[in-house]
Amino acid sequence: MKVLVLGSGGREHAIVKLIMRSTARPRVYVAMDYRNPGLERDSVNSGGRAYVVNTVDANSIAKVAEEVAPDLIVVGPEEPQFAGVSDLLRDRGFTVFGASSRCAEVERSKAFARMLMWKYEIPGRLNFKAFRSIEEARKFIEFAGDVVVKPARQAGGKGVKVLRDTQAYLSRDRAAVKRTYVEKLYTEMERYRDIDYKILVEQRVEGVEYTVQVVTDGSYVLPLPAVQDHPHAYSYDIGPETGGMGSILGPGVVLPFLTIDEYKKSVEIVKQVLDALSKEVGESFIGAFAGQMMLTGLWGPTVIEFYSRFGDPEISNLIPVITSDFLEVLERAAVGKLAGAGLNIEMDMVSVVKAVAPAGYPDDRAAASNHRVAVDEASIRKVGCEVLYASIELRSDGVLYTKGSRIVEIVCGGRDYEDAYRKAERAVQYVEILDGWPQFYRSDIGSPELVRERCRVAERMRRVYTSRAKRGMLGQMLVWVPGEGVFENPLTGFVGVSKP
Amino acid sequence: MAGLISIYAFDELWSVSNMVRYGLQALQHRGSGRYTVCSFDGAVKCGAGSSLDEIQQHASGWFSIAGIHSSDSDTAIDVENGGVRIALIVERSYSELESFARSLVKNLTSRGRVDEALTAVVEEHQHQVPSFGAITSRGEAIVYRGLDGLTPMVLGSYGFDMAFASSESVAIEILGGDVRKFLLPGEFVYISKNHMRISRVGCSNCRGRLCIFELLYVARHDAVVDGVSVYGFRKKLGSRLASNFDRKNEVDIVVGVPETAIPYAVGFAESVGKPFELAFVATGGRLRSMLFQNPLEKLIAVHLKMNPVRGVLEGKRVVVVDDSMVTGATMKTVSQILRFRIGVEELHLSIASPPLVGECPHSVMNLDVRSLLSANLSEDVAGKYLEVDSLTWLSLEDVDSVARTFNLCLCAKCFGAEFVGCR
Ligand SMILES: Nc1ncnc2c1ncn2[C@@H]1O[C@H](COP(=O)(O)OP(=O)(O)OP(=O)(O)O)[C@@H](O)[C@H]1O
Repeated sequence: MKVLVLGSGGREHAIVKLIMRSTARPRVYVAMDYRNPGLERDSVNSGGRAYVVNTVDANSIAKVAEEVAPDLIVVGPEEPQFAGVSDLLRDRGFTVFGASSRCAEVERSKAFARMLMWKYEIPGRLNFKAFRSIEEARKFIEFAGDVVVKPARQAGGKGVKVLRDTQAYLSRDRAAVKRTYVEKLYTEMERYRDIDYKILVEQRVEGVEYTVQVVTDGSYVLPLPAVQDHPHAYSYDIGPETGGMGSILGPGVVLPFLTIDEYKKSVEIVKQVLDALSKEVGESFIGAFAGQMMLTGLWGPTVIEFYSRFGDPEISNLIPVITSDFLEVLERAAVGKLAGAGLNIEMDMVSVVKAVAPAGYPDDRAAASNHRVAVDEASIRKVGCEVLYASIELRSDGVLYTKGSRIVEIVCGGRDYEDAYRKAERAVQYVEILDGWPQFYRSDIGSPELVRERCRVAERMRRVYTSRAKRGMLGQMLVWVPGEGVFENPLTGFVGVSKP
Repeated sequence: MAGLISIYAFDELWSVSNMVRYGLQALQHRGSGRYTVCSFDGAVKCGAGSSLDEIQQHASGWFSIAGIHSSDSDTAIDVENGGVRIALIVERSYSELESFARSLVKNLTSRGRVDEALTAVVEEHQHQVPSFGAITSRGEAIVYRGLDGLTPMVLGSYGFDMAFASSESVAIEILGGDVRKFLLPGEFVYISKNHMRISRVGCSNCRGRLCIFELLYVARHDAVVDGVSVYGFRKKLGSRLASNFDRKNEVDIVVGVPETAIPYAVGFAESVGKPFELAFVATGGRLRSMLFQNPLEKLIAVHLKMNPVRGVLEGKRVVVVDDSMVTGATMKTVSQILRFRIGVEELHLSIASPPLVGECPHSVMNLDVRSLLSANLSEDVAGKYLEVDSLTWLSLEDVDSVARTFNLCLCAKCFGAEFVGCR
């Protein structure tokens, strides 16, 4: 059997590792944007090969596909989906695992995703306002309060500003930042020609984040275990937004801070969204889909955004725990025969993933690029972990160079968090930037202390949302403007108290 | 004692000026109104003053360090070495400040790794370096908690946008941030444009011990110090104190000296089953009278805290609870007011700490042994001077066992012990 995997990073390396274990002994081919050493090696070892090609260029990908003639194509990242790569491949008669461009709209446009949730009254939705023009955004932002300002299009884990605004004495400073930021963000978003909405302003919530990924063939939905990603660059949830510095999974399908009931509710939300989406776009969703969730006091399980693909690094957490034939799952989804499929995992194991990044990531990718790297894979394996290669390139001089984003992901399984954490902490030491340029990773991810802290926050949120549920207040946030009335408008702030 | 606050915005869109103001305001109780601030907006700029308005004008750009102190000397410096400027604010007077600052900037520029640089300079200064905040003209910020661990340092954050470090958790909360981590003794945070790291200075036989006064007196009730709720700790000491008091059934009311002793009195009252009442209302800000150096300023602060609430206390047998007794001046004032102006029937004084017998060898607290009441007056004379019917203390063993239940390790040299807790 031949499988072609599309994409260049850690997520694709995880997918390749997972499918290579299949009893079908697939020959794996990869189409990637640069020479990812892990993808190149594993594909060759499986009897396949890797192609370096622009993965958002549908025609070039189709050419590779025709040359390989695979039995299955797995589209890893979202950008090729947006660019219509899955569509063209399907048109050419290939069996494809990966959302069509119309389905992928749910990830590409955060405004679309939010509108969908409101239109179909799906629980876990947040109040928001989306803007096409800078004039509208400018006007609105003057009155905005405790909000999050983000690009209305998926922009690869960048550009989100979470602006807690619950202190009137600092609200002018925050207003000033909102004002400047909206201008800056708008300018940046103008380069995306593929969306109307540029800026989204939404209700800020707090709580504990987790991701619920599923595999679907358009009718049957197979949920994967919940995973928690860590978006802040630095330890203890400090620092700028990144694509994710590491993640944890287990034991079992939930995380220590999540109840089975909350997990089921989250899966239910994801299913409702998939239903709504296929009604809305008139196509069924074939591929991986994920809800990036937060357990909040407002709703309990709440949607932050959706992925029309596997999460990166979330998918990597499956490597140590999954016992099913993952290739079979992907293939059954791609051909519409997923019904009845199950997923076996080691129920009493956990896994910890840690990304290692060069200084400069995420805000100065140029500075973070072109540094020589050594990865001592043998030692990492000895500790009991695996390495996934991400933003790292094998050049013709035979040396590995950073490409500006996360270099590798270290994946470790263990009996419990203490065990997996200890392994991961040892394993990250075997990744080294050779020219003295600083590198970093988050030493707190997977630590029993951090897991306990998440449990405490989740417990607090649970108390709030259960009490709100009793009062029939889930999802609602009322504002009273004396003389005007009571409104549901949590986007308005102190500066705008006079008018909602 | 002093309060330090550092604010670092990862996005240069922010101006920290207002945040410096409110951050310092939240730490106001840790000093006596002498402020220093250094900011970075492409270059390092420093200013000092005694009003927050003034300070705010000196704070600009996207990162700042600032402090409030009780003394002016050796608490802030600003030096240049090899074209790099460094501004440093320390948490208590440090006579080696200049040599330390020079050596730090030299090492930062000559060594590649911050860890090595800081470890080397701290070692060169016999591990005596107090907690500090520093910024350099290369756009770096460093926050360090001294190896002695005498005063705390808390890390916090605001969304994806800012990192905070503060002597007390309250300032982080007042700035709308989340408390993220209590730095360990010797731990430091280094932030530059592209990088942040948390690491620890090496020292083989250094034992960090928190100053006992941090928990007894200095921190606000709403603060969390090294993971311990200050309010919870104080209440617990109060109830322990009650068990040393043998006239539980012969008193009517429990009051606390404002405003630091309130939680002790609440714990005491709860434990003896008598009502807790408010006895005094303070005028003006919540300054810690003990942190004033000038005796007259100290008395002024004491007197301003003490306007009595009338009506409830008259003719009653009252327990007055205080956190500590230094010179006894506060208690003398309290007893005079309660007796002459209110007319209480009996006055029982309960102190939620042991007798103070020595000076602070670390010069964290400004204690003069000649004016410590318990180091100079016998129990009998003290009772007469203060005009109280009984005088109850906590023993070192009491404090030790409470500290242990909170997992604390406290320096207690001024109480005549090396430490309490620590197990
Ligand atoms: N409404 C909100 N309230 C509070 N925090 C939020 C909100 N929306 C987003 N965030 C925070 O910002 C992070 C990034 O947001 P979001 O997932 O929408 O953006 P993204 O840039 O697409 O990220 P990703 O890397 O997950 O694709 C979230 O993980 C969450 O921590």
